[in-house]
Parts: sequence; C-alpha cells; structure tokens
Amino acid sequence: MAAHTLNIYMLSLGRMHCHIYGRNVHKALNRATYATALSTNNSSPNKGFPDRGSRGPIIRRPRREEGEPRKDRMPVDQDWTAVYPTAAPFRPGSVPLPVRMGFPVKRGVPPEKKGNLELIKIPNFLHLTPTAIKKHCEAMKLFCTEWPSALDTNVKCDEHFPIKIECKDYVSAGTSIRNPSARIVNLRVSICPNYDYAMYLLTVLYHESWKTEAWESEKTVADMEEYSWEDSPSQKNALSTLVRMQIAGEVEGDAVRDKLLGRPEVQEYRESVIRLMNEGESESSILQYREAVKKLLKL
Amino acid sequence: MAPTAVSNKLKATHRKQFQELQEAGEKGERERTMTLHRLFPLRLRQTIAQVRLLHGSGCGHQLEEVAMEPELRKETSVFRTQVNDPACQSERHLGQYYTLPTSHLHTIFPHGLPARYQQQVKTFNEGCVMVRQPALELISYLKAADYSKPAVRYLLYGLKGSGKTMSLCHTIHYCSTQGWLVLHIPDAHLWVKNCKELLPSSYHTSRFDQPIEASNWLRNFRTTNERFLSKIKLRQRYTWTKRESTEKGSPLGELVDMGVSRVKSSSDVVGAVLKELRLQAAETEESEGFRLAVAIDGVNSLWGRTTIKKEDKSPVAPEELTLIHNLRKMIDNNWCGGAVIATLSQTGSLYSPSSAYLPKELLGEEGFDSMDPFIPVPVSNYSEKEFESCYLYYLDRHWLQHPHSKTDEGKKEIIFLSNRNPSVLERLCAFL
Repeated sequence: MAAHTLNIYMLSLGRMHCHIYGRNVHKALNRATYATALSTNNSSPNKGFPDRGSRGPIIRRPRREEGEPRKDRMPVDQDWTAVYPTAAPFRPGSVPLPVRMGFPVKRGVPPEKKGNLELIKIPNFLHLTPTAIKKHCEAMKLFCTEWPSALDTNVKCDEHFPIKIECKDYVSAGTSIRNPSARIVNLRVSICPNYDYAMYLLTVLYHESWKTEAWESEKTVADMEEYSWEDSPSQKNALSTLVRMQIAGEVEGDAVRDKLLGRPEVQEYRESVIRLMNEGESESSILQYREAVKKLLKL
Repeated sequence: MAPTAVSNKLKATHRKQFQELQEAGEKGERERTMTLHRLFPLRLRQTIAQVRLLHGSGCGHQLEEVAMEPELRKETSVFRTQVNDPACQSERHLGQYYTLPTSHLHTIFPHGLPARYQQQVKTFNEGCVMVRQPALELISYLKAADYSKPAVRYLLYGLKGSGKTMSLCHTIHYCSTQGWLVLHIPDAHLWVKNCKELLPSSYHTSRFDQPIEASNWLRNFRTTNERFLSKIKLRQRYTWTKRESTEKGSPLGELVDMGVSRVKSSSDVVGAVLKELRLQAAETEESEGFRLAVAIDGVNSLWGRTTIKKEDKSPVAPEELTLIHNLRKMIDNNWCGGAVIATLSQTGSLYSPSSAYLPKELLGEEGFDSMDPFIPVPVSNYSEKEFESCYLYYLDRHWLQHPHSKTDEGKKEIIFLSNRNPSVLERLCAFL
C-alpha cells in the first residue's frame, strides 16, 4: 500500500513539476543543444587536457557517445516491472519523472535528478508497484494451499490456534527507515479450554522461579528492579546524621540503630526516599521529601 | 538630610497642598490617601513615605508604612523597603527591593554575583535585591537551626533563570551581616572545565592541582573574610617544601597570603584552609568560635564529568582534582557549627540536558547519596506581586524607555513574552 500511495504522489508531483519547472527544463535543454551545436571541436582527441609537451599526448580510448536515456523511449503502457524488477538504486535515466531533491541554494530551486546523490542515497519503492505485487502474489500462489474451509469463523481459529503473533509495520516520514516500535512483536495467548494444563504450567514456572541459580548471587545494586532503602547509602547517611545529632550518652550498637529506625520520622523519610527513587522525581515527591527531612532534622 | 529639614522644605514649596492634606487627614484615612493620590506624584509620595520611616526607623515600624497605603497597593505598590538588614526582613517585605550597601557589595561579593546583575548594579548605581520567599525561608531555617548539631545541607533548585543565585547571595548577605565566615564558591562549574594549567599534585600522586583557579579563589576569600584572618589560628603545622612550612598557631591570614603568592601550592593551601575551618567552626561562640557558611553555586558539577583531559587524552574524573576532592569533604555533614547552602545550576553544567532542573536529575546518584539528607528549597518564577515590583523598579530607574512598555497593553505583552521568568524579563527589558 505504501508503494501505491507513493506512486500516486510521485505522479501528482510530476504533473506539478512539469507545470512549474517544465518550461525551465526545456529551456535548459534547448540551451544545451544550442551550446553543443556551437562548440568548437578540437582536433586533438584529448579534449580539455593541455598539451603534455615532450612526454607526448596520453593515448586514451575515445569515449563513446552516450545513447539516449531509457526514459525517452518509454511508452506510456510499458511494463514497469521490467524497468525495476528488484530493489535497485535510483537511476535518473530510467525514471521518467522530473523529480527534484535537495536544498535550494541561493533562493533557487532544488537540484534536478541528473547526478543527484540525494535521490540515490534514499531507499525507494519503485520495485513495489501494485502490478509488481500482483505478480509476486501470482507466483507465490503455486506454493500455497487452500484455506481450510472448516476455519470460517474467528472463534474456530482461536480454538485451534490459541497462540497469535502480531507484527506491526510502520510507515512514517523521518530520517531513518527503521521504526523502533516495529520491533515489538506481540504474542497473545488466550486461556484455552484446557484450563488445568495452563495452571500446571504456571505452577511449574512459579516453583522454578524460586530456585536460585548460582549466578543470581552476583546481582548488584544496579540490577535491582526496585529501590530498597535497607542497606542503601541513604539509610546509612540518615542513621549517621541522627547518631551525630544525639550528643554523647548513647552508646553505639545495634539496639540504638534499631531504635532509631523505629522512629516515625525515620519511617516517613524512608517512604519519601523510596517514592523518589522508584517513581522518579516530581514537584510533589520532592516536597514530600522536604517535609520528611525537616522533621528528621527537627527544623 | 534631617527629617525636619525635609519636611520644612516640602512645606515651603507645597504649603497649600500640605494643608489640604492635613485637613483631609483629619476627615479620615481614606480621604487622606485619596488626596495623597491627587496631589503628589509617585516620586514625592515615596519621599513622604521615607520621611515617615525616618521618624520611626527600625524593624518594628514597618507596619506604619504598610498601613498607610492599603489603597495604593493595587495601583502603585511600594516596591522598595528601607529595611536593608536581611535579619529584620519578614513576609511583609515579600516582593520589595532592598538596597545592598556599597561597602558590602565590594567586600562580601567580590566574585559572587551573576554577571548580568553586576552590569545592572553598575548601570543603576545601586544594588537592589528583591526579598523573595525562598531566601526568607532559608534565612528562617538558619535562624532556627541548632549549631551544636551536624551541619544541615540546603539545596536551591528551580528552572533556569528563576533566581537561585540571587537567593543564595541574599542568604550570604544575611550570614555576613550576622558575623559568620562565608566560604563562597561562585561557580563550581568553572573548576571542572577549561583548565589552562593542570599540575600533578605534590601531596597525593594520583590527584591534579589547578593553581590559577585556586589562587583566584583565595584572593577573593581574603577580601571577603578579612576580619577572621588574624583571629583564626592554625591547629597544625603544614609543610610545603623542604624549606617552607607554616607553623602551628600562626594566623590563617599568613596561610592565605602564602597561597596567593605561591601559586604552585595554592590548591593544597585551599585544602588546608577548608580543613582548618571545618575543625574550628565546631567551637562555641565564647571560645572565639564562629559559624561557617559554605555557599556553593552549581554544586552538581562536583559529581558530574569534567572536560579536562590528561596528557594522554583520557578524561579526568572530578575526584582526581584536589579542589573538588576537598570541597566534597566540606559537604559531608560530619562537622558542626554551620550550614551548607548550595544551588543547582544547569547553565554551566557539562553533559546534562538543558531541560533538567530537579535535584536528582542534576546531582546524579552519587551526588544525591552524598547530599542526602538535605532540604530542597524550590525557587520559582516571579509571582504577580513580584512581577509588579520588578516592573515598577525598572520604570523607576528609567530602564524601560519604550513608550508602549509603560501602558497596560505593553505590560501584558511583557508578561506574556517572559512568562514572569526573572532572567528572561531582565534581558527583555534591556531592549526596551
């Protein structure tokens, strides 16, 4: 479908271009023919290369004349799939459209397609016209079988083939032909009539997940999915601050630590830090953190 | 001019008007204000206000000023206040400008104020700072804090150009007038980029010194804290080379002078100064102690990346710089007797997106863990009242020359264009 729309667009563009730029193109062509007709023909075969003096002229194979470009010999009802049977770079001589592409230098117009690197660089869908796709389909039909007549409703399809794979394709204008969202492939599983089997599978998975593998013990803080306040630098900082705030008298030890941890303001502080880390920052979470710290430091 | 002389002068020139005013005053408050409106243009009204204030100057009598002109607030709100001492300012003065005394400008802020503000001070011939909510809040915390407990860290954060550095300067002014020792690092970002000279540290082999930045800072430190330099004595002997050393018990001024003159060892001198101040701030007031305010602008540069490269083109991590290493030690709350006031700044920071302004985004994981627990203080764009004040101030200083800017329409345009962001507003008005 993309190729189809592209075609229409190019045709309309072509028509528009013919209208606006056509005259200029013709003029240029005329000028070109006029110029070549008048140019003087040097006797030496090496046009443009100055005389090399004592070393003598370089013998070069004379360059053969270019033939007429293909587009000039194209009938309107031609077979386009013969011009572009496969994906191929843009050939200005084979595409009969007056396409222009590029930056208009000095308030001019975009450069023409002849010798235009921009048009060659970009991917084109000239090999995917509707006729070409029809031909592909015809060719592939040889390898296809009939759709099973029994599967005529969606319900029956779901029953026999519960697992569905969805691939998404995207068409958009942008700098890259790849769309990262297209990489996501959805696998849908609906709960099949065999409910017991599904539960059995889930139970097995559940128990498997409880088994700790040897490499799981190497999990670092960076791997953690959620932030845990215990044993975090935040907890250590808070505790050390509180300990320093208690002026001498209290003995360091686990009992003091647990007592400090049990205080309501410490709990509030813990909540706010967890919220900040897990949910990300926002004005409200920062304000909550602020209130908690104020209570902690008794300001 | 003495108050009576001023009022005499006024009476002489506008005797009739004054009589009318007094008669109106006897009729009632409203009559008086309406007559005030009619008779005197804005400028004179302010002079009258100032005269009244001179009669009853000091913190307590500000009520008079406010009570006198409740009607006027809507149209010509008073945007200046005479209370120039940050300690006496309160919510009543929100949105009003107070003047920084010129002597303070030179001593307290040799390097602290933003560049555009310094230009404004030069143009207007006075330094006026607006009293805003974040600064007042900070000052109230500083007043209420207990200085025998570990130092509390405060962090000013907000959108670009919302007034974080100015709030910091306001707080520093407060600390200075209260007799604290202010350690002001105007822009920590300057220490992690564009370093022309990088010397390997003599003290610690894997670290690098920045002599130029360190000696500049020491010079400014000396200007700010002259009076402390002779009072504070060193607790330890510092050896710089085989022949040079600073003895125990010598005044801090000697150390600082040595750092300024001997540029090569200035980074180590900075480290020594910071250490001494940290140890000595903990003492109580009686035994010649002092309170220490560490003010850092752009604190997020301490934990970010640097653009300084070693000779083999590998990047230098911030902790490998002596200055940054020592500064990080100051931010830890293992010392008492002061406070750490910091600002986040995206403007000079390296490798951070320009839309980032929240603390955790700019500080990063490491920075947040080091600063935690801190009190974040948000700084937002001007409120309506503050915008009014700023607009009137610019009008008063004849900064807004374009005739359209004085109309209501023009004012609405200015609000729309700047979204009441202080720095955008300032840049916009510079064109008008």
